Amino acid sequence: MEITPDTSGYMIAGYIITFLTMGIYVFSIYQRNKNLKQDLETLKSLGTKKTKKK
Amino acid sequence: MSSAFRLPPSAAPRFLAKPTFFKATMAIVQKDLAAEFRSRELLSAMLVFSMLVILIFNFALELDIKVRQSVTAGVLWTTFAFAGTLGLNRSMAVEKDRGCLDGLLLAPVDRSAIFFGKAISNLAFMLIVEAIVLPLYALLYNEVRIFQPAFLGVILLGSIGYIAVGTLLSAMSVQTRTRDVLLPILLFPVAIPVLLASVKASGGLLNNATFAEILAPLNLLIVYDIVFIAVAFMVFDFVVEE
Amino acid sequence: MQSKPIVLSILDVVSIIVLGVAAYLALVFAPTELVMGDVQRVFYFHVGTAWVGLLGFILAAIAGIAYLATKDMKWDRFEVAAVEVSTMFFFITIVLGSIWARPVWNTWWTWDPRLTTAAVTELIYIAYFMLRQGIEDPEKRARFGAVYTLLGGLSAPITFMVIRLFRTIHPVVIGSQSAEAEGGFSMTTDMRAAFFFSLFAFTIIFIDLIWHRIRLGRLQDKVEELKLNLSL
Repeated sequence: MEITPDTSGYMIAGYIITFLTMGIYVFSIYQRNKNLKQDLETLKSLGTKKTKKK
Repeated sequence: MSSAFRLPPSAAPRFLAKPTFFKATMAIVQKDLAAEFRSRELLSAMLVFSMLVILIFNFALELDIKVRQSVTAGVLWTTFAFAGTLGLNRSMAVEKDRGCLDGLLLAPVDRSAIFFGKAISNLAFMLIVEAIVLPLYALLYNEVRIFQPAFLGVILLGSIGYIAVGTLLSAMSVQTRTRDVLLPILLFPVAIPVLLASVKASGGLLNNATFAEILAPLNLLIVYDIVFIAVAFMVFDFVVEE
Repeated sequence: MQSKPIVLSILDVVSIIVLGVAAYLALVFAPTELVMGDVQRVFYFHVGTAWVGLLGFILAAIAGIAYLATKDMKWDRFEVAAVEVSTMFFFITIVLGSIWARPVWNTWWTWDPRLTTAAVTELIYIAYFMLRQGIEDPEKRARFGAVYTLLGGLSAPITFMVIRLFRTIHPVVIGSQSAEAEGGFSMTTDMRAAFFFSLFAFTIIFIDLIWHRIRLGRLQDKVEELKLNLSL
């Protein structure tokens, strides 16, 4: 009866990478969202400035 | 408006009639081949490049006879793939830069005739290069089995599939900012079935594989050719519309 | 900018819950495999992410066709979302596949059909993004992107079939074993539970992420439109 090898190191590495990748992706969506909302505000205020100048 | 002024169709001057699909395609092929035979810059570039690649392979892989036999198909196809990319890039770039593409688009021809015309001339260039490189390779490495009709047939089928997708993608890449650089990046992942199936089939022919072993990749190669010629034909309009 | 719909908020919570449950089932509930040990547990997430990676690939091709047929930008947004989310998941698939391979087959990589096709697909995705980055005009970007997802969607299955003609050592977990496959194993009922739940969980997470990515796309389009208007 063979002894089951201890490969738990690999397993942990795998799961860490999995959660890390998903986490980074979710964070990137959140970050891009924030940046775009900021851009939107800036562009809107620029737009009102333009119409005020007219 | 009085209908009395309408001319009968037979009176319409011939040059106003819409050219047939075949005539339009052949006109484009003629133009490309004529232009190329005058300057020969594309063909010579592709040829020199192919010879250099084979030279590099010779030193990089240090092939003894046994290893070389199993690797010949791969070396040849890699060479053709890279040389083909050169040809595809130049062929489309010339159209775009000289404004020929816009001119062709204004002409009253079916857009897909432009695709077939370009694809056929691209194929012609690739086949000419292959026709020169293959005998040279056979000479350098004493690989006479290259001249089997079946082997040449596989080369032809593979080239057709590669050029069909390549022409479509080069029409796209020439319209981007990164142009030439983008074509191999777009083409290679999508052309992998052609390259793999061709290598498997042609390699099998060189190494006395069984008929079944050669038929399987050959089938897939033919399937690929048919599917992608059809798709390229249907989709080319979307790629060149303004 | 539309406020976040309640359904999406609920889906966010559900996604986190199913992810947790799937992880529990894979790490604790499922029994340890006899021959390979704990590394086999990555299999559940490997297959789960592979499934949604493939799903996204197919959805992207369909979205591409839909865009070419309707010229409605919503299909382009859906297509980009599908490709981006799938690229992320397929990356996990490939890494987990490699991690599984190392102790079991004693190699970090094998050129077998499934793993190679996954790598090729990942390259097609990356090429897709490089293509889009090189185009300024949104309409042209959408058109070219659609054509490329179609080409990619058609070529990947053929790639798979061609590579299968070469030999494989990838285990066949469902179906009959090939004589050369090592590291195959048959699943117990508990393992099957973890396996199927993982597929289910990743589908939910996939839908959630795509939804978020589409909303991001809408915001992006709005900002681009405003920029263009202001520069006029």
